[in-house]
Amino acid sequence: MAGPAASGKGDRPDLLTAAIFVGFGVIGLWQTRVLDGGTLAQMGPGYLPRVVCGLLILLGLVIGIAAMRRDAAPIEPIKLRPLLVITLSIVGFAFAVTHLGFVIASMFLILAGSLADPGSNWRTTLLLAAGLTAFGAIVFVYGLGVQVPLWPQ
Amino acid sequence: MDFINLLMLGFGEAITPANLSFCLLGALLGTLIGVLPGIGPTATIAVLLPITFFLPPLAGIIMLAGIYYGAQYGGSTTAILVNLPGEASAVVTTLDGYQMARQGRAGAALAVAALGSFFAGTVATFAIAIAGPMLSQFALSFGPAEYVALMLFGLLAATILASGPVLKAIGMILIGLLLGMVGTDQATGAERLTFGAVELFDGIDFIVIAIGLFGFSEIITNLERSGSAGVTVAPLTRLWPTREDFRQSWAAVLRGTGLGTMLGLLPGGGATLASFSAYSLEKKVSKNPQKFGTGVVEGVAAPEAANNAAAQSSFIPLLTLGIPSNNMMAMMLSAFMIHGITPGPSVLTNQPEIFWGLVASMWIGNLLLVVINLPMIGLWVRLLTVPYRLLYPAILLFCCIGVYSMNNRIFDVVLAAGFGLLGYVFRKANCEPGPLLLGFVLGPLLEANLRRTLLITQGDPGIFVERPISLVMLIATVALLALMIFPAFRKKREEAFQEEEA
Amino acid sequence: MKTIYALPLAAAISTLGATAALADWPTDRPIEMIVAFAPGGGTDIMLRTLAPYIEADLATQIPVLNRPGASGEIAYTALAQAKPDGYTISSLNTPGFLTMRIDRELRFDPAAICPIARIVEDPGMFVVQEGSPYNTLEELVSFAKENPGAVSIGTTGVGTDEHLAMLQLEESAGVDMTAVPFGGANEAKTALLGGHVTVIGLNVGEYAGSEPGQIKGLAQFTEERSILAPDLPTAKEQGFDVLMSSERGIAAPCAVPEEVRARLAEAVDKAVANPEFQEKAKQQGLALSYQSGADWAAAMPERLARYEEIIKMVKEGQ
Repeated sequence: MAGPAASGKGDRPDLLTAAIFVGFGVIGLWQTRVLDGGTLAQMGPGYLPRVVCGLLILLGLVIGIAAMRRDAAPIEPIKLRPLLVITLSIVGFAFAVTHLGFVIASMFLILAGSLADPGSNWRTTLLLAAGLTAFGAIVFVYGLGVQVPLWPQ
Repeated sequence: MDFINLLMLGFGEAITPANLSFCLLGALLGTLIGVLPGIGPTATIAVLLPITFFLPPLAGIIMLAGIYYGAQYGGSTTAILVNLPGEASAVVTTLDGYQMARQGRAGAALAVAALGSFFAGTVATFAIAIAGPMLSQFALSFGPAEYVALMLFGLLAATILASGPVLKAIGMILIGLLLGMVGTDQATGAERLTFGAVELFDGIDFIVIAIGLFGFSEIITNLERSGSAGVTVAPLTRLWPTREDFRQSWAAVLRGTGLGTMLGLLPGGGATLASFSAYSLEKKVSKNPQKFGTGVVEGVAAPEAANNAAAQSSFIPLLTLGIPSNNMMAMMLSAFMIHGITPGPSVLTNQPEIFWGLVASMWIGNLLLVVINLPMIGLWVRLLTVPYRLLYPAILLFCCIGVYSMNNRIFDVVLAAGFGLLGYVFRKANCEPGPLLLGFVLGPLLEANLRRTLLITQGDPGIFVERPISLVMLIATVALLALMIFPAFRKKREEAFQEEEA
Repeated sequence: MKTIYALPLAAAISTLGATAALADWPTDRPIEMIVAFAPGGGTDIMLRTLAPYIEADLATQIPVLNRPGASGEIAYTALAQAKPDGYTISSLNTPGFLTMRIDRELRFDPAAICPIARIVEDPGMFVVQEGSPYNTLEELVSFAKENPGAVSIGTTGVGTDEHLAMLQLEESAGVDMTAVPFGGANEAKTALLGGHVTVIGLNVGEYAGSEPGQIKGLAQFTEERSILAPDLPTAKEQGFDVLMSSERGIAAPCAVPEEVRARLAEAVDKAVANPEFQEKAKQQGLALSYQSGADWAAAMPERLARYEEIIKMVKEGQ
């Protein structure tokens, strides 16, 4: 990812955009390389994906080149704590809910997720986790019939 | 007039205490599942379907219909309050609705959405009553060629949604198209872009993308700004819309209703296309298009009216032809079939009480929703005063359960977390995710119909200009493109100048 | 070498475990029924309607769990991985269950899944608009002979029932038609009513439940006429060798003890014979046709061979 240096040329958010567009295009082309393209009358599964990927790469290049000529603009600073904590607690929830049941998964998600916010205190967080877990169990599992076990099996 | 008598018959059926209470029950349940992200009306109705065995036919169908339009109402509530679209048609509502909420005008946004939806629902209900059979003929005249033209127009209109540069919006649409192609190719059964994951054979679910890009990445960016203490909402200025709000939104509601009623007839992305195009249309006709996305009331009124009108009018093909236009309507069809009723023209003549009872109950249901929802606005708005550090774990939990409950698998939740990361990167790159979602929803329809058209004509693209509806839409697309390219440059320069002066 | 020893051992352990659990089966905990399709589909509604009757007979609970995706592969994989103790069963649908192994590397072994009972057999058929000039398969074929490719047939994708039926007709009559894939029977029907395609494939169950005066049938693809459409001639009667029907039933892992599977089959048989269920099935347009798991399994190899032949034909044609 582009660094925080904000001198000289280069619109960093737009360069990032260009990288995303070109990246998606290249991955798409690579993934569809084995698919049959077909003809206009009998389009194969690879026809439109390749057209779309081609357009994405082209667009990415246009945006990228224009961005390099513009004056430097920085990307907003990145903080890793919320990014990692939230993502990992969601992934943890997914595995826990299947293997350990809803109650443990929900407690884990809320307790772990609260670490993303440096200002939280444990008493309120525990109360919140217990309350939300009970609410979730009643509304989702009993009320709406979401198919998930409450406790480890 | 004959139809007045029939409508009276319908109202007579619908306001029996039993039917009225099932209507209320459905509307309440629908509002609840609409507010809870990820829990969709389709799954709820599937679970409730066997229960309707034990109800009289009309009561069962009235309740299911109540869930359906109740969910439409509830979906816009979370879109406005916490920037979380519960379904595709609510994506647009987040654009201005959430901004209004941040400025302390959540009450106004919710009220305008509810009243606009009610008005649109009323008009669409009467459209079903008066012109149902005629409108269904319009839906049938849409063949593959017409769809291709309509989708092209819709995708181009999506670029208007974004407030940033057009090129970025087009790129996001293309990424949406690409994501929509993931999975088994409908026509040939070939696997595409699945990276070999069996969970992706049926493509990515809309909810996974919406919750990842909107729900999760919104939480991450909010916390990043300065922890939960930094997320503040401007104090509530006023609970109800001002006279000015009404003045600005009535025309938008009218246009949205018209657009929604027509587009709702079409199978597939009807309601979604309706809300997106209604927003784009407002932005085009507005005198201050640059204000869209910063919390203008028309930006909430038009798409809300459009998606509710479309939700009602999507009953037309089902009731008059027996053809369901989306998954929800397919479930409704099952509900009819369970009771041994085959929807279609013969129901109109043989069992008029069913058809007219349902039509009347729709209007009553919409009325009930307004009655339920208006007093609740005060409650909802109070939700915003809950500190963010208590609110975000709850949003997180509801999103996770919602995503998990779709297919009961780990994969979807992990994928949604991945889209959360992607959404975070998009924000850092100043790319808006709205157009991506529209590309995702409309892409598969565009591709399937393009291929169908060329199969039927054996490779001759001439059909697009030979068929009148398709030709008209293609001309409109080209005109829109021209409008966008030429004045866009001029307007941008004007804006730049204005900023310099300011 | 290791695997050779490990396999019988694993089988022995699982049988042991299963026998131990068998003592209480099926009353000590619920039997989970996996449905390979999303809630609200034909198979889902059929099984949700049937489940209470099986529950009553076995005196247990049968919650339905939807595991949609990859035309059933996800559900079958889950079934194959479940403990073979008789507490997990799933829906089974042909031709999907048979055709998916032809061109695809599967994540489960189809031989490890044993049918318990077939519940429904729904023949495929071709329909045209009510106002169409074609009344029989013969009339359609003679038009297709003179205009190769001009007849468009709406299907629900390559390798689906309707597509396989079209290929058989092309082969049998020596004609060339164009398959136009749609997202489902409803989309195809809309296109037919709007006059955008000539013919579509449907199941007889869907045809029997549809509004009169919109569409008419050309032929059904069975050996004998279905009870749902006794007046519609079969393709064979009209001189074309086209056979295609979709079957729905229930399956369990083969490692489940024989007695348990037999008891389940008996319960399904009783449930299907219940007049109350039959009444509901009639309302839903289900073509009930009970067959025991053994008979169903015995009929599968021949069908599989036929599908393999058709799909090979398509490959060569391309």
